[in-house]
Amino acid sequence: MKKLLYRMIKQGLVKDFLIPLNIVFVDKKDIENSGIEIDQAIEKIAQQIKGPAGINVFDMDACTTSSDGIVLDSAIIKMAASDNGKIHREFGMLPMEEMKVTDQLISEEPHLAQWKKYYNGRKLFRGPNPAKKMIPVHNAVMTGRAVNNNSATEMMNVVTMEEILLPIFGQLQIMKDQDVLIGYTGEFISVGIGMTVAEKYGRVFPTRQFKAGDTAHGSGEYAKTLKKHIPCIVAPKQVIAKYTIDALEAGMIPGKHIGCSPAVLTIARYLGADIDFDNITEKAQEELASVGITFDSLKAPVKKLSEEEIIAKADDIVPGVEKPVRINSTEFVMKKTLEV
Amino acid sequence: MKLMHTKLPEFIEKMKRAVVKNTPDKTIEIRGLENLKCAKMQSLRTGRIELSVEELAKREDVQKVELIVIPRVPETMHTVIVKGIDKDGKAKKAILEVINIIHPTEEVETADCEEVEDRRPPLGKH
Repeated sequence: MKKLLYRMIKQGLVKDFLIPLNIVFVDKKDIENSGIEIDQAIEKIAQQIKGPAGINVFDMDACTTSSDGIVLDSAIIKMAASDNGKIHREFGMLPMEEMKVTDQLISEEPHLAQWKKYYNGRKLFRGPNPAKKMIPVHNAVMTGRAVNNNSATEMMNVVTMEEILLPIFGQLQIMKDQDVLIGYTGEFISVGIGMTVAEKYGRVFPTRQFKAGDTAHGSGEYAKTLKKHIPCIVAPKQVIAKYTIDALEAGMIPGKHIGCSPAVLTIARYLGADIDFDNITEKAQEELASVGITFDSLKAPVKKLSEEEIIAKADDIVPGVEKPVRINSTEFVMKKTLEV
Repeated sequence: MKLMHTKLPEFIEKMKRAVVKNTPDKTIEIRGLENLKCAKMQSLRTGRIELSVEELAKREDVQKVELIVIPRVPETMHTVIVKGIDKDGKAKKAILEVINIIHPTEEVETADCEEVEDRRPPLGKH
């Protein structure tokens, strides 16, 4: 008998924030070491869990992109949803599509220049191939009460209708046993998650529907309210700042190559990096202005900070989660083993 | 004939008849169609569902049949019509939008069942 390691956040409360379903994180390497296939591992883990669960399988040697186009190490390669041990045979499990990174793809998706600079040779995964999924619109899987959406970064219990956001940087922190912030998504992130980049087989959109500089929300001042009260688990702002600075130093211009989210624009402002103001649409401007980020405020003189200074002051200057509580993920993410 | 569709009120009436056909003291509760006012129900499956209702009603250990209709594909796409009406009730403008709705799957309704027999064809089949 071999053992399979997985991490799990139990449904319930963490620091008074509601976790609406069980959340499981599995490393592909741990599955390989257990000698079984990924689908088998997901099914066996699901059988251990009473109640609804979202299950994410990671390849820590691959890479992916955040919604605003920052490339980062590791990727979710398969997602599942289970309820009382069952996985829906049609809608319960879905793989992400590996994207071959070619010069052609980089020319079509210029934010992937980061891949060439930092992650050359790593496999790239974002969302699923729409031809392989049964759910018509969203990149979602579901079984019973459990829904795992937006390529495994948003989970919900569709009976209680409670939800949690799991941006990819926060999940990566959990996989590395590092600190995270738990809080409410708030207005800045609500606006920011709409500032996407155009990707084929993207995390949220299967086609290149919304390009950098635009907003997928297109809902004016309502955008900041869309996810405001939903709990989320995110990476500490120092981590977000570091990855964003790396992207800027790779030549990425907010509004042109990467999304114009409040966090990206703010970091670019303090670093003195270029922002493509002309390419930021009126709809995006309206949503940014609703959280106090205007072209005037972005162009206002500010003392430029070094990379180290921005990271050191990230908690004060980078907009993000509301009412955050910083906690080491090992304090609430259980490590469990299963004999297979 | 098999390609015809059944009127919604007729579908409901047929289910009520199927449960009392052999067992007049038994009842049926129908959920999931409350929001439908006018619809045509697939006839081929209407007959099979009548058979299922009758079959369960005939069981000695069953006193009541529940018939629950949920989306087969648990994300449904809907058109939203936003209409502005003037003081005389005249529609001045309509804006068409779309909303995708995610629903629980059948496990929510069958979690307490001793036995589940899946007679559904694969997606896309009748």
